[in-house]
This record gives sequence, structure tokens and C-alpha cells, in this order.
Amino acid sequence: MSGERTPTGRKRPRKRGRFLPYILLSPLVLFIGALALYPTILTTVQAFFTVNPMDPPTRFSGLANFRALFHNSFVRQSAANTALYIVVGVGLSTLFGLGIALVLQRRSRWRGVVLALVVLPWALPAVVESVIWGWIYDPTFGVLNSVLKSLGLINSDHVWIGIGRIVSIVLIELVQVWQITPLAALLILAALQSIPQELYEAARVDGAGRWEMFRRVTLPLVRPGLAVAMVESLILSLNVFDQVYVLNGFAPGGASIMLQTYQISFNNLNFGQGYALSLLATFATMLLSLLILAVVYRRVEF
Amino acid sequence: MRGHSGARRVSRALLITLILVWSAFPIYWALNTSFTTLNGAQSVPAHFMPSPFTAQNYKTLLNSSGGVGNQFWRSFLNATIESGLATVLTVVIALFAAYAFARLEFRGKRIILVAVLATLLLPVYATLIPLYRIMSSVHLVNTYPGIILVYTSGFLPLAIWIMYNYFASVPRELEEAAFVDGATPVVALWRVMIPVSLPGIAATAIIVFLMGWAQFIFPLVLSSDLTTQPVTVVVAALYGQRIVPFTLLNAIGVLAAALPGVIALVLNRYIVQGVMAGSIK
Amino acid sequence: MPVLLVVVLLAALVVLAAACGSSTSTSSSPSAAATTSSGVLPSPTAGSSITVVYHYPAPPKSVLDQFTAQTGVKVNWVEVGWDNLQTKIATAATSNTYFADLTDVDWSKVGQYYKTKWFMPLNPYFDAAALKADMPQIDTFASNGQQLALPFDSSFTVTTLNTKIAKAAGVTGTPANLTDYTNALKQIKAKGAVPNPLDIPFAAAEGLSTYWYQLTAAYGGQVLDASYAPQFTAPSSAGYKALQWMVDAYKSGLVPKANIGMADYQGFTSEMAPGRVASVFSDYSGSVGSIYDVPSSSKVVGQVQYIPTPGVSGPAPNLSNPDGVGIPVTAKNVAGALAFIKWFTDTQQQAIWAGLNGSSDVISGFPLPARVSSLQLLAQGNKVSGASELMTLLGSSRAEFPGPGAPPWYSQFSNAVYTNIHQAAAGAETVQQAVTNIATEVNQLKASQ
Repeated sequence: MSGERTPTGRKRPRKRGRFLPYILLSPLVLFIGALALYPTILTTVQAFFTVNPMDPPTRFSGLANFRALFHNSFVRQSAANTALYIVVGVGLSTLFGLGIALVLQRRSRWRGVVLALVVLPWALPAVVESVIWGWIYDPTFGVLNSVLKSLGLINSDHVWIGIGRIVSIVLIELVQVWQITPLAALLILAALQSIPQELYEAARVDGAGRWEMFRRVTLPLVRPGLAVAMVESLILSLNVFDQVYVLNGFAPGGASIMLQTYQISFNNLNFGQGYALSLLATFATMLLSLLILAVVYRRVEF
Repeated sequence: MRGHSGARRVSRALLITLILVWSAFPIYWALNTSFTTLNGAQSVPAHFMPSPFTAQNYKTLLNSSGGVGNQFWRSFLNATIESGLATVLTVVIALFAAYAFARLEFRGKRIILVAVLATLLLPVYATLIPLYRIMSSVHLVNTYPGIILVYTSGFLPLAIWIMYNYFASVPRELEEAAFVDGATPVVALWRVMIPVSLPGIAATAIIVFLMGWAQFIFPLVLSSDLTTQPVTVVVAALYGQRIVPFTLLNAIGVLAAALPGVIALVLNRYIVQGVMAGSIK
Repeated sequence: MPVLLVVVLLAALVVLAAACGSSTSTSSSPSAAATTSSGVLPSPTAGSSITVVYHYPAPPKSVLDQFTAQTGVKVNWVEVGWDNLQTKIATAATSNTYFADLTDVDWSKVGQYYKTKWFMPLNPYFDAAALKADMPQIDTFASNGQQLALPFDSSFTVTTLNTKIAKAAGVTGTPANLTDYTNALKQIKAKGAVPNPLDIPFAAAEGLSTYWYQLTAAYGGQVLDASYAPQFTAPSSAGYKALQWMVDAYKSGLVPKANIGMADYQGFTSEMAPGRVASVFSDYSGSVGSIYDVPSSSKVVGQVQYIPTPGVSGPAPNLSNPDGVGIPVTAKNVAGALAFIKWFTDTQQQAIWAGLNGSSDVISGFPLPARVSSLQLLAQGNKVSGASELMTLLGSSRAEFPGPGAPPWYSQFSNAVYTNIHQAAAGAETVQQAVTNIATEVNQLKASQ
């Protein structure tokens, strides 16, 4: 292989250069191999084993863990809860993200400042945000109740989290939406900004109004951005943990799959089932991501 | 585009105000609650400006002779060290790897790249317990190195993704010029790529640092005490125990949010660029 | 291809590791249970240190320094919240990692720890039979002859009442039975000063389970019998009635609506201490001294008293839930840990933790000493709020699972209990469903043994 010349006349690197990529990559491969791939393989394999300090020794048990999970009503409940977390999380963050991106499309004096504030919730730890929102939701002293009462919408203090299952989930997810909307907004904004102005011009020449332009030009061409934003939100809301843990603890009425996995593994010490549930969650993530990409993504060429 | 009619201006201003309120209200409310006494915070109906106004909560925390103050500042230090060093390690490794992916041809390139990016889809849980086992077998549980290694492995895929996109968008001519001068790829990386991509590298570093600061479930398990517990774990514990009054808790929240918040506000440009560059593909 | 080879090798490694069983194989298996002990402790190395991880705040440094002066061992005390601590113990033990020389052994986990062999039997070093007279609750920490911990206090659930609020609502005297108690609460509610007078921690957490056990005792029964069979499935049973009472109390407004998300200590500090509720049926012994009578965090100083727990037909037994201190098998400084246990649980020190030398040397939140001799010291010194009431109540206390002790699967059992009671209060389940679900879980757990 030595001695060839590339089109630009450069000699292809000799022996020393051949190994360069591998040298550059070795730290990465080491890290990912040892600390990401190996643990994942371990989890995948041990999902089919009984791993439980209360029930030694570790032994092969086929689909027993999975069967137990399906029969566990709290696991089923957490799956249903998580489905709602996903719907609210993906739906609202994409909607708000699209709205914010549309408003901030145009460069203006204020855009930098507004963008800075918009990105702020994304930068803060979810746990800190949950504590702050928890205080807003507080039944006795929270500002939510206070404002609603002043507006006359409710008569007495409402307990927002813990009683109504759907209300609790929506409000907990709202805290996560607050955090991930900036990400969606930025991703969609990137897609918006890559739409060439000429297309809008052409549409206007054809007599299209604002709404028409939005429907015919913007929406179709922003689909890649929407798809990526939705997949991001999907992954984040499917894995929601911090907000649920802080605001609702282990109550089944709001438990998410990740919370349930944590409880099965650390409270019940049934690590095998914990692995099995993680595996199922991974598959669900991949399936749903592919679904979103298939439906929403369109390769765009200008 | 069309000229702005008055109505359009107003509606646009309204929308922007709505966006600002949505983004900033909880933080403003935390500030409001933290600058007042417990009685003031518990007033019904709620006050929108702190009344009475007092900075006592912050004084208590800055005093740090009391238990809560100590806990908080120690955890703040832990979070900064863990996140900071993980950022440095991540960026360095990702730099080399992204360069290899973006510029070099070699066998297995596609597989390795896909494998690395696929780990982004993994739920936290797939790796938590096995990682605990690995870390404990090398006696790194509840130590800075242990946590930093775990963070790094988690952030590498995203860091590589962002830097890969940056490098890929740099015109090859710049390096070709260096090659003609007899530079090796590594020198080209050092002399050409890195200086040109500094914004991208900065963006990666900032995003990784913020992610590290926000970590919760990993330190919850891997960090058994204040030697290494970051702010998130301590804040969650204080909220759960309800021993700390809400006014002080909100002050803690504000301080906990201060570092990432200031970074996000001041270095906003890099974050925006980093995310947006990573999305165009 | 090099990459493929690496992947295959990794996979092979993993399968191998999994097949060999990576569970808690401890290299140092505990010695067979010896019921007699020499009483002689190994001498600790001077200059060594021990790490104590516990869910109480550390004793004052000056006091710990005395231990260091005596034995040469430095103490590193780390406080971790109870739920978090149980997780830490579990994760450290399952990965065979050192995290402490001494830590909490909860009364409810003794059966589990016997099975999982996570703690070192103390039989060779402490003579349980000889200690029993002075430490009545020492049996709680033995399973199948192995003494896995020594009691660090003698906590039990107790009823507290804010007598000032009660008197202001016209409630005279102390409620003698459950009916009187319920009526008293209704009267306090009707008079309006405290719209929701009762605190029940309905968050899905351990405190809700122990509340139910105490109420079941008030109804004259137990939740599980000696063979761990469910005793609460019939509507006429004590456990069923207790659950019904709790859910009714929530739905009828005797309990604040916000309690659906409140855990035990949250209720004490954010409702009872500010005077927003009037009573906790199942409080913890020591709350008065460590929470309600502490001026900096309580608005009801001097108003709260322990009262005999009102059962259906008179005072009900109080259920003991002491904390224990034990040595994990992964401990590094066993000699130091043993020396610490001895010092920590001796008569004088136990009384000091509770206030014998004044409030400067206490462990904040410490309930009652584990030793009778310490209690006597305290009663003479008159230093602890409500000490005399507590001593009387201690006399009539009993274990929550007398006989066989807590089952090894207690955590899963308690999990089923508190999640279903929470659901019932939230209206997501009926009491009948909750009871059935808990019973089903119990039978499954029993069958898997």
C-alpha cells in the first residue's frame, strides 16, 4: 500500500500512519468498551438469570424475570404512567419548542438575551428544578394554588401531586418539559435556519399568505429537525427519574419505569428483574425512536 | 419578509414576553422565596415581591459553620471537581476520536462510530449496577476518580457527536495546506483543526460540564457520603427530609443553580451553536 | 477483523462471569453461631480509624474525642438518611465493597441479614444472655442464634397529642380508647382551630407501614401470625379495620389532604411541630424531646405529650422498632468497631446520648436508651421530656413480630403494604382491594422461601 499517490499528490502514510486512527481511538474504545458496552452486555445477559442476594446463587432462569415483570401490577402501572409521561413530554416540548423557534427565527437585537433565558432551564440540574417546582405546587403555600384562588378558579387548596393520577403525571412531566423544551427549540431552530429564503420568496411570488407559507414551506422542511427533537424528548421522558423521585417518591400512581427499575433493584434486591426491565425499556426506546423517525423524518434536499 | 404591521409587532412582543415568563418564572419565584422569612413565604395569598425582605438565608449558607451550610458547600465543591475533571477528560478523548472519524479512513470505522453513538440510546439503568460492581472491584467507589471515569464514559458519545460534526464541516483545504508543508495528521490536528474548531470544542466542554453538574441517579448510588456527593444528591435529601425550611431550601436551590445558570447565560452563544451544529445531519 | 474479535472476546468473558455467579460470595463467611462468648474483645490498633455510617447525626466531637483518648481509635461518623442508608448497605453488600465498619441494622432487616450473611455475628464477643436483663430488646437483633447487632436505642411507636389544642377545643382528659380518641379528633376539627387534626404519613414509604402495624395492635391484633400468614383479610379482623380507619380518616378530612405525599418525619416537622395538626397516632418515642420541645424548630414547645395509645378496649401495646448497630462483613477495622460498640452502648454513654449531661452532649433525635440502667439514670436526673411516661410505656411494649421476628422478605412486604395503603387513601383502590393485594404478595413471598 505504500508508495501510492492520492489525487492531490500526497503520499499515503506508511506503516506508522496506518495505526494512527487506532491510537487516536484507543482511549475512546477503552472507555466505551469497559464502561458502556461491557456493562450493557452484562445487563443483557443477566436479565435471563436470577440475580438476587435473597435467593442465591446466581443461576440461569430463562424468561422467568420477564414473566414476573408482566405479572407485576406495579410494573404494568409504571409502564402506563411512562406512556403518559412520553405523550406529554414529547407533545408539549415539541409544540413549545416549535413555537419558540418560530418566534426566534428572525435575528433581532433582543434575540441573544431571549435565547440566553430560554436555554437557562436546560442548563440547571433537574433535581434543583424539581425542588423549586415542588414549592410552586405546594398545597398549602404554593403560588399555584394562591394564583388560582385569587383568580377564583378554585375554592380551596388543591393537592396537585399524589391524588389524581393523570394530574400528578402531567404536572410532574411539566417540570421535565420546562427543562427539555430549550433543547427541542434549538434543534428546530437549526432546521428552520437551514431553509433557504428563496423558497419563501418563490411561495410569496405565487401569492401564498403567511399561513400558506408555513404549511407549504416551513412545516415540510423542518421535519428533520422535528424528528430529531422528538427523539431526544422521547429518550429523556422515557427515562424520567429525577423529577418523579423528588416530587412523588415511590408512589405507584406516578412511578416511571426508571423509578420502578430502581425500586426493584435496590429495595427488593431483585437485580435480575431490574436488568430485565432495563432491557425492555431499551427496546421500547429503540422501537419508538425508529417509529418517530419513520413517520416524521424526511430527507430534505434543497 | 413582509413589513411589520403594528398588530404583528404587538403579538410578537406578547409571544416573546410569554416565552420569557415561561422560562424565568420558576427561577424568579425561587429567588422571591429565598429572600424572605418563613412567615413571609407562607403568607396567603402569596407575595410576588419578598416581604419582608431579608438576606438571612444566604447569610446562613455563606456562614457555613452550621451543618447545612457545610453540607452544601462541600457538595458544591464535589460537583465542580467531578464535573470539571470529567469535562477535561471527555473533551481530550473525544477530540482525538472525532478527528479520527472525521478525517481518517480505516477498517471498522463505521462499526465503531455506530456502536459509540448507539450507547446514547441506553437507559441509565443498563449500566448503573454493573458499573457499580466494576468500580468497587477496583476500589474506586465513593472516590473522585471513580465518579469521573463513569461520567466520562457516559458523556463521550455526545461529545464525539458534536465535535465530529464540527470537524466534518471544516474545509479540508486547510489541512491539505498543512500536509503539503509536510505535517503529519497529528500535527494537522494540533495546528489547524483545533484552533479552527475552538468554538465547537468550547461548546462541547460547556455542554458536558453542565450535564455533569446535573447528574443525579449515578451519584445517588455511587457516592455514599459527603466525600463525593454532588449538589443534586444533597439538595434532594434536604428536600425529602423537610427539616430545612422552604425559604432556606429555595436559597440553596438558587445557589445550586447559580453556577450552571451563570455559565448558561454568559456562554450562551457556545451552547446554542453546539446544539444546533450537532443537529444538522 | 480486530473489532469483531474484541466483541466476541468481551461477550465470552461476560458469559463466563455470569455463569460463575457474580452474586454476594463473601470471602469471609461468618463463623458458626456460638451462643456463648468469651466477652473478650480484641484490642484495637492505636492510631487506626473506623467509619460509622448511621442515620442519626454524630455525637458531639468532644464526646467522640473521649473514645479516641480511651482506645486510640479515631471515629469518622457519616450521617445518611434512613432510606438512602438501606440502599447503600444493599449496594455495598451485593458488590462486596467496603463502605463502613459500623452501620445501622434495622429491626426489620435482621431476618434478611441472617439469610444474606451481610453482617458479622457478635456472639464471640458479647454475651447476649447476660445482657438481656439490661437490654430488653436485644433479642430483636438475633436470628437463629446469631446475634447480628446490638440495640442502640429502644425506640417504639407512641401516640402524641397536643394537649393545648385539645383543651382549647373542649376535649377534657386523655382519650381512654379508640372511640374516645376519634371523637376527640372530630371535636377538634369541628371547633375549627385545626381543620385537619390528625397526622398520618400517607406517602408510599416505610413510616406508613409501621403506622398500620400500630393501629392493628390498637384493634387488638397483628398483621401476620407466627408462620407469617396474613391475618388482615377478613373485614372483621384487626388489620382490616385498622386500614379502614386510616382510609376513612383521610377521606373524611381528619387528615390534611396534603398528607398523601408526606412521609413520617415530614409530618412531624412540617405539621405537628408548627401546630397545624393536633395528634400523631403512631409517633416515635423521643419526638417530644428532639422535635416538639426544641424552640428553634417548633412552635408548640411544652404543648405535646405522650399519651397511652388508645386501643379499642383500653391502652394498646406499643410496638418496638429499635435501631441496632452492627458490623458489615466487609469491615476493615473489626477490633475498632467492636470497641466502639462496647463504648457506644454502655450505661453511661446511653444516658448521655439522651440528655444526662445536658443538651450539649446529646445525639440529636436520639429516642430512648437501650439499657434499663440508663433509663434509671435519666429518671433520677429528670433531664428528658416525657421520660417518666416513656418508661411506663416501654414496660408494656412488644415486638412487632413477636416470636420469629421480622421475615427475611420484610422489605418487599413493607413495600406492598405502604404502596397499597397509599393507593387506597388516594382513591385508586378500595380497602378490600388493598387488603387482597397485600395478602397475595405475602403468600407469594412465603411460597418463594
